[in-house]
Amino acid sequence: MSNPTTQKADATEQAPPQAKPQVLEEDDEFEDFPVEDWPQEEAEQTTGSTANGGSEHLWEESWDDDDAAEDFSKQLQ
Amino acid sequence: MAQTLVLDQFLSSLQELVEKRDGAKLQDFLQLEPPLSDIYQRMISELRQNYAPGSQADSKLLQRCEPLVPQSKGGSWTAFPTFIKLYLIFLRDMNTDNLLETYNQLKALLNQCVLALGDSQMGVVVLPTVLYLSKVLAKLAMGLDRRPDLIAHIRRMEGLADQDESTEKVTLVEKSANVVREAFIKCLTDRTGTPGPNGKPEGKRIGIYLMANLCLKLLFQCNKLRNAEQMFASISAQSPPLAHFPASQRVTYLYYLGRYLFANNLFFPARIALQAAYDQCHRQAISQRRLILSYLIPCNIILGRFPSQALLQRPEAQGLAERFQPLCRLIIRGDYLAFRQHLLFGSPTAEWFARKGILFALRNRCEILVWRSFARKVFMYGGSYGGPQAQAQRGPPPVLNLKKAVVAIRWLQTQHAQSGNGPANAMVAPNLYGSQVVSEPTDIDYARLEGADGRASPTTDQEILEKYGDYLAPDGFYTEEGRSQPNQPGLLIDGDPEEDYGDYELDPYAYDFDDTEADISLMHEIESIFASMIAQGLMGGYLLHREPRFAVPGAKIKGILPTGFPNVWHTISAREIHDASVPGWVQSRAPAAVGAAGGGRVVNLAGARPVGSQ
Repeated sequence: MSNPTTQKADATEQAPPQAKPQVLEEDDEFEDFPVEDWPQEEAEQTTGSTANGGSEHLWEESWDDDDAAEDFSKQLQ
Repeated sequence: MAQTLVLDQFLSSLQELVEKRDGAKLQDFLQLEPPLSDIYQRMISELRQNYAPGSQADSKLLQRCEPLVPQSKGGSWTAFPTFIKLYLIFLRDMNTDNLLETYNQLKALLNQCVLALGDSQMGVVVLPTVLYLSKVLAKLAMGLDRRPDLIAHIRRMEGLADQDESTEKVTLVEKSANVVREAFIKCLTDRTGTPGPNGKPEGKRIGIYLMANLCLKLLFQCNKLRNAEQMFASISAQSPPLAHFPASQRVTYLYYLGRYLFANNLFFPARIALQAAYDQCHRQAISQRRLILSYLIPCNIILGRFPSQALLQRPEAQGLAERFQPLCRLIIRGDYLAFRQHLLFGSPTAEWFARKGILFALRNRCEILVWRSFARKVFMYGGSYGGPQAQAQRGPPPVLNLKKAVVAIRWLQTQHAQSGNGPANAMVAPNLYGSQVVSEPTDIDYARLEGADGRASPTTDQEILEKYGDYLAPDGFYTEEGRSQPNQPGLLIDGDPEEDYGDYELDPYAYDFDDTEADISLMHEIESIFASMIAQGLMGGYLLHREPRFAVPGAKIKGILPTGFPNVWHTISAREIHDASVPGWVQSRAPAAVGAAGGGRVVNLAGARPVGSQ
């Protein structure tokens, strides 16, 4: 469906940034990108089908713990 | 004089490139990183033969370089021939055995190139060269910063090692940042075309973010973030919108901007910048995405949002889950002691956060979230909701007697004292006062003052006497009558502190508590913490002081817990969202605002009244 973008992607992926899975060592240096520019499509995650719209659920806004903590509740009787 | 065929050819090529204003090719010609190709080696030997070091040689070389500049156009670009002369001298004299000297020469070379960049007509031609030299200089400076041993012997030889320690040392990295900043300013202030926030990246302005990013990298490396403030302010005032620049520059810039804002406790705008950096980063740039995430995640945690499983399972998040998930769990649990132990400076769990420079932000900003969870749990299990009919009728609001919070804290304290878990050096001390019971290990400078059994005994500790003898056992002292009196050598004039002053407690917190007083003191602290959470909108309700209680009125619509303990993220984002602009990030302006009076500033006249009306 997206021939033009695929071709473009091929062109830039000649030198993909860290294409091979490298050992993630703790380096705090923000490396230069091997490619100067890329379209937004190449920034988005492809994991999951495109039907998802790429809007994966990234952040938990509700995290309160409502489970009864037995020993805790016992203390407060 | 021998022939200089290669040099001749080199200079005539440069002349041609300058004429054609081919900056990229010019940069390509001006190589200086070893290993240099054969042709450069031949030029270097020509230079050494014909222009051996000496003032004569330098001025002769300059003469050779002067014709490089087009004379017809005013011919005032004198900075360029001087730059090429310095370049040739750099090649001729480069000595990789003395990297400090190499660094200084390279810095001088870049300085001269930046001067050449300043020319309004021709400057842009050397922009790629400025960038190239800046990168080489940055690489060298950062390399030497990591391996100071490489130049230690030179520093010693030149007597630089023991410089005056009272003045702040300016590192090579910081010096490099200062030169690069000059180049950044030249790019930002280029007046050609349409300058300013409505302009396009043309002329030297295409280098704004390239130079800014390099400068920021150096400033972060040498921990001189404060020096970046002016840069961000100048960018806000004068740069074209960031969106006009290539993705690599945008992402890098937003990463540094986000970290800068984070370091300044501006977590909400920091989150916007870092999220944008993450969203625009190439999906295969794993290491960059990971670095962005390692600041984006704590930023969100502080604002009350935790990373989801989906996020933590992404390849770039590898290893981040084990850092952040325990922290999130501790916040949810509401055990403030376990939280403090977890982030105690020097503990193994805190080490990674400290290295990333986010430990103190997390420790200081997340504790309030821990207290919120704590209060919520105590409220859940210890609050009185007034019975079902009270909810239906106009009964008293749900209420929590804060004595329950005291009980819960005492219980947590005993749990920790018994289990003795947590890092060995994080001591949960007996809780004589308030909640602050996780103590830092003793500072190494003072550790010696206390023996292993916690009792100082200076009479026997020769080391203490050697160090502090002039104070503890001086040669003489003044009596109460003000007469000077000589002292016997080694005699402690104030006596042995443990033996003579053991009855006096010097710890300001440790006055003689009985249990009731301790609980009153703890109650005051709890009231303060609850009041703080109410003031921050993290709890909804009010406090009653005489019989300390927390009451949650108006809970009928949303329910008791959502009213008393509203969603953290919703609360914070509702408070912050009114100003979604991020300082330092120039956004494209809405077309309506462009060209409005006052340099594009929008004036809201909605509240204006006609002239003369009251």
